[in-house]
Amino acid sequence: MTTIIIIKSVDQEPTVREVLESVVDGDDTVCFLRLPTVRCLGSLVQAVNPMINYGVDYTINCLPEGYDTADLVEFAIDVDANRICIGISEKTLTGKARIDDLTQSILLHDDISGDVVVGDHAIILEELDYDG
Amino acid sequence: MLRFEFQIRLAGILSHILDVSEQVESIEIDNALPVTDGGVFLFLTVKFDDTVSETDIAGQLPDMDVVNVSQAAVNSQMYYLCVVTELANVSVLSLLTDQQAIPHRIVGEDSQLSVVASVRDWNHLKTVANTIEDEHGSLELIGTTQTESVGFPLGGDKIKQSMSGKLSDAQLEVLEMAYQMGYFKVPQEVTAEEIANELDISRSTLSERLRRVEHNFCALLFGPRQ
Repeated sequence: MTTIIIIKSVDQEPTVREVLESVVDGDDTVCFLRLPTVRCLGSLVQAVNPMINYGVDYTINCLPEGYDTADLVEFAIDVDANRICIGISEKTLTGKARIDDLTQSILLHDDISGDVVVGDHAIILEELDYDG
Repeated sequence: MLRFEFQIRLAGILSHILDVSEQVESIEIDNALPVTDGGVFLFLTVKFDDTVSETDIAGQLPDMDVVNVSQAAVNSQMYYLCVVTELANVSVLSLLTDQQAIPHRIVGEDSQLSVVASVRDWNHLKTVANTIEDEHGSLELIGTTQTESVGFPLGGDKIKQSMSGKLSDAQLEVLEMAYQMGYFKVPQEVTAEEIANELDISRSTLSERLRRVEHNFCALLFGPRQ
């Protein structure tokens, strides 16, 4: 299984922890996919370092400047991702995971579908199917 | 199931009522019942920024088929309004139900319509969102959560409405004061003695009124249906 974790900021340690603890299995591949606005993952990787599972393959990739959702979906198709995990940075007043523009554009994208699981710190799109 | 919240530009009858008077702060659909020829009975909660009379409200909506206007017992700036209108005037409601999504909350405020609805899954969310975007131009997803059950459709204000007339003014006063001062918070932020002093009543009177309120709440929950 291949899991993409979208890194929108280096403050996403809770998201990465939740995904590595509860979502990723021992022989999976994990792609940290950072937005171009995130310059360096050093501190984040250091923070989650104790959770590193040596059976898991980790890669770090970056979306291009001026990316759009199609680039992200294309990357997901290239790596044959089974899951895409997006951090929850905020909750609404009623306790719902706040949906930012990026999350909305993925959720409503025509070429990708599957199941949505809402965790404490991550929205996990799994059982992914790609069209087009 | 997924419960999601989204915003669209205000339209239809809610927009019309908000445009009629600057005093209208918000308007919420509590219930909708179909009538013949594509019409619908709409039960609305309208919140004003000041106290207005029932006659004023009916007078401000001359082109609308207003069936009833009544003031909420718990808030003198809030009114329950029942109108008959075309289903097309509440298009977001009809779009949601046509697509078999469950509407939980539809509130018009600040030129936006905020909607909470439940859908079966991600594909269903996309279908519903696309349908609403086709009709309303654009849609902004605000939040989502997962839920096991369908939940209660519309009418989040039902408890307030059901309590209308069930509590006396004196009981409402102690209940509101106790709530505002943090008596029901955990840990309690105020003692009964302090609330009684604030209201200038004895502690035993406060206690009696609060017990009557509790009794009325329990009667509503566990007593015979009326």
